[in-house]
Amino acid sequence: MSETSLYVLQQLINGLTIGSTYALIAIGYTMVYGIIGMINFAHGEVYMIGSYTTFIAIIGLLTLGVSSLPIVLLLALITAIVIASTYGYAIERVAYRPLRGGPRLIPLITAIGMSIFLQNYIRLAQGSRDMAMPALVTGGIQFGDPAVFEVSISWMQMIIWCVTLVSMTALALFISRSRLGRACRACAQDLKMTNLLGIDTNRIIALTFIIGAALAAVAGVLLSLYYGTINPYIGFMAGLKAFTAAVLGGIGSIPGAMLGGLILGVTEALTAAFFPSEYKDVVAFGLLVLILLFRPTGLLGKPEVEKV
Amino acid sequence: MKPSHGIFARTLIAAGTLLAALHAQAETLKIGIAGPVTGPVAQYGDMQKIGAMMAIDRINAAGGVNGISLEGIIYDDACDPKQAVAVANRIVNDEIRHVIGHLCSSSTEPASDIYEEEGVMMITAASTSPSITEKGYELIFRTIGLDSLQGKLAADHIINRVKPRNLAVIHDKQQYGEGLATTVRDLLAKAGIETVMFEGVTPGDKDFSALIAKLKRNNVDFVYYGGYHPELGLILRQSREKGFDVPFMGPEGVVNADLAAIAGKAMEGVLATAPKSFEQNPENAALVAAFKARDEDPSGPFVFTAYAAVQVLTDAIKATGETDPYTLADQLRANRFDTTIGEIGFDDRGDLTESTFIVYQLHADGSKTPISE
Amino acid sequence: MQRALFPALFAAGVTFLLTCLVIGVKLEQVGSELTVTGADPATWGWIATAVVIVFLVQLFQSPLGTLRRRLPAIEAHGLLPGHRLREQLRPWLIALVIVGLCVWPFMVSRGAVDLATLTLIYVMLGLGLNIVVGFAGLLDLGYVAFYAVGAYTYALLSEYFGLSFWVCLPLAGLLAATFGCILGFPVLRLRGDYLAIVTLGFGEIIRILLNNWTNVTGGPNGIGGIDKPTLFGLEFSRRASDGGETFHQYFGIEYVSSHKVIFLYLVAVLLVLLTLYVINRVQRMPIGRAWEALREDEIACRSLGLNPTVIKLSAFTMGAAFAGFAGCFFAARQGFISPESFTFIESAIILAIVVLGGMGSQLGIIMAAIAMTILPELAREFQEYRMLMFGGVMVLMMLWRPQGLLPMKRPHLELKNP
Repeated sequence: MSETSLYVLQQLINGLTIGSTYALIAIGYTMVYGIIGMINFAHGEVYMIGSYTTFIAIIGLLTLGVSSLPIVLLLALITAIVIASTYGYAIERVAYRPLRGGPRLIPLITAIGMSIFLQNYIRLAQGSRDMAMPALVTGGIQFGDPAVFEVSISWMQMIIWCVTLVSMTALALFISRSRLGRACRACAQDLKMTNLLGIDTNRIIALTFIIGAALAAVAGVLLSLYYGTINPYIGFMAGLKAFTAAVLGGIGSIPGAMLGGLILGVTEALTAAFFPSEYKDVVAFGLLVLILLFRPTGLLGKPEVEKV
Repeated sequence: MKPSHGIFARTLIAAGTLLAALHAQAETLKIGIAGPVTGPVAQYGDMQKIGAMMAIDRINAAGGVNGISLEGIIYDDACDPKQAVAVANRIVNDEIRHVIGHLCSSSTEPASDIYEEEGVMMITAASTSPSITEKGYELIFRTIGLDSLQGKLAADHIINRVKPRNLAVIHDKQQYGEGLATTVRDLLAKAGIETVMFEGVTPGDKDFSALIAKLKRNNVDFVYYGGYHPELGLILRQSREKGFDVPFMGPEGVVNADLAAIAGKAMEGVLATAPKSFEQNPENAALVAAFKARDEDPSGPFVFTAYAAVQVLTDAIKATGETDPYTLADQLRANRFDTTIGEIGFDDRGDLTESTFIVYQLHADGSKTPISE
Repeated sequence: MQRALFPALFAAGVTFLLTCLVIGVKLEQVGSELTVTGADPATWGWIATAVVIVFLVQLFQSPLGTLRRRLPAIEAHGLLPGHRLREQLRPWLIALVIVGLCVWPFMVSRGAVDLATLTLIYVMLGLGLNIVVGFAGLLDLGYVAFYAVGAYTYALLSEYFGLSFWVCLPLAGLLAATFGCILGFPVLRLRGDYLAIVTLGFGEIIRILLNNWTNVTGGPNGIGGIDKPTLFGLEFSRRASDGGETFHQYFGIEYVSSHKVIFLYLVAVLLVLLTLYVINRVQRMPIGRAWEALREDEIACRSLGLNPTVIKLSAFTMGAAFAGFAGCFFAARQGFISPESFTFIESAIILAIVVLGGMGSQLGIIMAAIAMTILPELAREFQEYRMLMFGGVMVLMMLWRPQGLLPMKRPHLELKNP
């Protein structure tokens, strides 16, 4: 393969990795939007809390003397999911449920307030410095002629792809096959009608927040391991990117969020590959504007029919 | 009527004593200490604060300056330019004529305009941007070396000792980092070393895989990074992960124990320009012990510069016997001062006449060894 | 009580999960090693207290709820005098407020005047955003972009062409409005939430471009040494610049440094009054009515033959113009601007002002702007907790009074039951 194609391949690999994690976080935005039509701005902070929990769990377990890496990672994953889901549930219960049915702007403001609150809550509890953890999963494979361009894929990148794929498949099966999944879809179509049919919609809405938070926690675990550093401010940018991904793919559509995340990740990597990387974010947001201009409901979003 | 006379007299005496006491209190000199107490860079504001407060307390313990005792008053600008202007106005308002601060260059710049205009002397212990003193202020000084001096040192080291073939200069698109990176690039270009890549990254970003692939593709064999430790740490860590193994160099902003924590083994051998570590100077041993006794950390980069800022101020007051900022400014420019950061003097712009930076090699355990020139 | 037991236990459990790891365990970077330690017993004491309080509150929720319902609801409008009386008093009241605004800076300290100036900038921004969000119901999360355009217009024109503040002020408004129009035209076809994210993205793009375009905007170094406004060419400084004359020389008075601050403040007052006047006029014009009609029901509007795009665009443009004015004034007050003054959090704060004040209500917005800038100053004792409280108050305010401090009241007739 030529040098350029190897280089592009390397950048695609990088882009898919970062895109997978965008997709995981984007699911939380898209599911909540699909059902109650609100932007959960605090979702990025749930990812941040998931990352902190991962750090605490991993370092705690290592200190306690648990030496088997798979067990440490599994336990950290479970802890992160439990804690982040609790946060997802609590945010919905405290900040959004009392406002349901009101004007749409109000929960959005609450969400921004919640986001600022959680960010500072973690900052006060854990300090504002960057925390760093040594890499637990190292190494990878390399191919291509070292004289031309050597493409490298780390084990961690492969883990990210696999875990994302498994989580997404599980979610897709859950939504399409299970009773609760069916209830979720019903809620997304018509909340009032679903309620009339005897489904506890409050419970379903809480469930979507929990699922979204759990997936954000998965992303938190993966990125904590991949980058190895956290601070209380990581939630904002991650949330913004994931939200962009969700809108790009068509907010409310779960496959759309996956697609949007991957497209966004790849676009960023390719921009950074051929242009100065400081324009990465400009191109990402520019792409969003362009797509929305030609497809106002995103790539896979259904055009909304206005009913009078 | 007699007793009431007595009461009157006693009231008078009491009032007199009170007045005298008030007068004695007027003999304190208030010094504003302006910097971030809150916000993301509050830890740096803390360094400045403990340095300045320690100097004030020690000078007071030794009887003050010409019988005047000092009082440090802390103002919080959160490193936000908007709040820095508000703080500067408040300081003028509180009739404080001497300020140690501000910390971030972007706060120092708008604030120094107000101080100069209102006749307040400001000595910054932390702002390194050259543009602050470029305007030719009369009352603005600093006890820390300029970015341009640090950049020159780095460029000299690269030209004379490293001699790279394909050099990349990366920065974080912030005032500090980009300023340094530009200085280094321009100086190298003058010496005939072309920079093959000059690029910014987004501060707070975590994924540098695209950048590293690009560095690899350009066959870069030496990287100068202008910015702070969180980004450089991640770049180093991810570079080594991807098998990209070339030497890096950074400014004083990356010299931080946290860099070792983030980069781990990848940090071994990184070069950095940094001020001489004043806390390791044997002459400062007593001072370091005093910080330790207060349970404060003297190792931050701005602790001793802030201490020295208070020192030069009080030395000038001692020598002139006045507190008027304009007299003090003349005194500062005309003389040399013996401080905890060594013997220093100021040029016409109010900058230090000598550089306090040297090149270090950093190690994975967080220690550093100086590389003699 | 029996029925409340299970939910109360559940809530207590949730609270425990929320706090146990994040607060109860501390990550600490010791040298280059990361360690975890349990928090001190006092912190665990707080966690236990929180769990118990949540448990008890949940357990006695229904009795507490009845108690709360017995308390009279606060109705700010009820505190004001009757409608007719208010109409009569109104011109007098306005005159009184204006006189008060112009007189008080001479009696208070320089710091207070400066703070008031900052507050007035936020009032102006709040009023401008109110046109877009409150009147037209378009959610704009990138309002700060127009603010930045205004600020940079003045800074650049004064730096490169030496234009004065008063020339640049209308230009800044005009340019910001043009930006608003250009951006709004393609974007306003989008529905509410898409609009929010696109404007957010636009705000970020403007900031990143300002940061990257180093040759012109100075990039992260920003632009310094921006001139202060003059009074018909008279400068407010100690020494006049070349060929200029200062205020105190002209009037032959002693130089008083606070005159400059007071003058800036008075300019801000003037701008705010102008903004209020224009908005109040426009609000009563057909276009103003159309904004509100569009917000209430877009389909009905279209059926009545109103062109939604033009109406939205006019609101967007006008809001942007006021942000441009505010930005221009901000640059003058600051004397130095850099992209870090125009981040997303700034947009969020302006939006919070609009919403806390009560969307559409101008008096409410003024009060909210005052509260937002003064409260953090007063709360400096709790510096560490300032932003935490800021976020918390935003949530609690919305839960307690979603309609804002002083919700907008429209003139309306009510059919009384016989």
